[in-house]
Amino acid sequence: MNEVVLNMPLALVGYYEPWWVQILKAVIIFAVGLQLVPMVLIVERKLLGRFQHRVGPNRVGPFGMLQPIADILKLLTKEDFRPRTSVGFIFALAPIISMVTAIAAWAIIPFSNTQDIFGTEVGFYGVDPSVGVLYAFAFGAIAFYGLMLGGWASGSKYSFLGAMRAAAQLISYEVSQGLALVGVIMMAGTLSLTEVVEAQQAEGWYVFPQIVGFIIFVIAGFAETNRAPFDLPEADAELVGGYSTEYGGGRFASFFFAEYLNVLVISGLTVTMFLGGWDIPFWDEPGWIHPFVVLFKISLFVFFFIWVRATLPRLRYDQLMSFGWKILLPLATVNALVTAILVVVID
Amino acid sequence: MAEVVFIFASIGVIAGAIGTIALRNPFYSVLALVSHLLALAALFLLLRAEFLAAAQVVVYAGAVMVLYVFVVAYIGGDKAALAAPAGGRLKVISALFATVLLVELCIAMVGSGLTVLGTQGTGFFPAFGTPEEIGRLLLTKFLLAFEVTSMLLLIAAVGAVVLARRRAGLEVPGHLSVGELVRGEFDHVNLPGRPGAELDKGTASGARLETQAENAGLPRG
Repeated sequence: MNEVVLNMPLALVGYYEPWWVQILKAVIIFAVGLQLVPMVLIVERKLLGRFQHRVGPNRVGPFGMLQPIADILKLLTKEDFRPRTSVGFIFALAPIISMVTAIAAWAIIPFSNTQDIFGTEVGFYGVDPSVGVLYAFAFGAIAFYGLMLGGWASGSKYSFLGAMRAAAQLISYEVSQGLALVGVIMMAGTLSLTEVVEAQQAEGWYVFPQIVGFIIFVIAGFAETNRAPFDLPEADAELVGGYSTEYGGGRFASFFFAEYLNVLVISGLTVTMFLGGWDIPFWDEPGWIHPFVVLFKISLFVFFFIWVRATLPRLRYDQLMSFGWKILLPLATVNALVTAILVVVID
Repeated sequence: MAEVVFIFASIGVIAGAIGTIALRNPFYSVLALVSHLLALAALFLLLRAEFLAAAQVVVYAGAVMVLYVFVVAYIGGDKAALAAPAGGRLKVISALFATVLLVELCIAMVGSGLTVLGTQGTGFFPAFGTPEEIGRLLLTKFLLAFEVTSMLLLIAAVGAVVLARRRAGLEVPGHLSVGELVRGEFDHVNLPGRPGAELDKGTASGARLETQAENAGLPRG
């Protein structure tokens, strides 16, 4: 049936770039992600200010632009405090899990296909595994332990309840999120994110044929990233601060950072799966423009996240659960089924 | 590179497995099992089974173990001891089962797995372990097994619901249609034991949180 290839070293399977390109690429992607988070922070505070008819931060630097730097410096220079009732080892481990999984998931967002840079073929993405978007879901699954362990190890009931809510919310909406992508994967016929974008360059953006999947994915994305209106895990009126109540200083900064990086990851996945990734319709764009196109589309989505936060009130917990299980999940299932039938009928 | 990953993943797998059975605190036991499953996923990656590795993390570490962590964190707490040490008869039986399992695994390894042992490693074809290949096999060669397994899972899910209702002292209602279930109209069937029933009926969120926290065993310290 298939030709058997004997004993290929692991490094040769699926990778064709020299090692220094891989290291350079990892550093650049990491650095870009790291720089984006403070920018999202200041943009969010400024925009929330505008939405609420006030100015927003305007003291640190020109137009308050250095506010996130000041915030981060403040957090990092604070004492690493932990409550007497907490479990030290896990308490310290939890923010690290959150941070590592968020950064690992960021590696999958493709900014372009392979480009020729000074004679070296370089893929403009961290990794492009054959399992594609499952990679992001795998790290999303591990990210749960960051929130859960953080809440549990704090030894405080507000943290614990926040963690429980986060856990229930994550597993409820993860299923719908995955099912919403099944339609796209069936239409593209591949799991690889770069190939999904290439399929969209050929067939048009999937946001139009997969509009139901798109809406489900975005709603589930709000829930997965614990953003308003699904920010129940940290509902400050009920739970003080949720799973991160007892955290301060650098550890809190890690949780905070991971949350915003997750917003970027979800935006990036949406752009890749539904909005054509680096594609500009009706234009054969040059290769160097691709990363900027992706970043522009991601920033549009981040703006949408902030807009929704400023507009919608928080859901009640039972509303959240019944919405996830009784509306979103059946809808996602029906969407996957209908897409499957249509793909077979049209082909 | 592959050897280093193998050594570390193997240590993780074995340490996780030992930790799962040796740790006294059920919460740490579950965490050890999670680390065991993650290390196992790394081993799958070494075997070029990328899909299996991702599925392992998403399904086991991400879904099954999440429920374990959930339940243990809610009702286990870190003060609740596990069951008393096993008695004499139980020890004999468990040793017997362990021996049987060992013999069985040895037979399986000697029978088939030994061909992969060696410094060269086993041969594979390029599409091995990819989602396409697994999907193709599931829908052609292993279709029957696949369908039977899904049927078994469905039966298990329905059975779990029925058993849970019986244990809660509820008669199994014969007149609850699927439409009513979807619309959430189960008030006329009277289900006080339904999960989340107390959440629906809670009056103030503050009072609800208190009971939840007490159920979780947090303030009893």
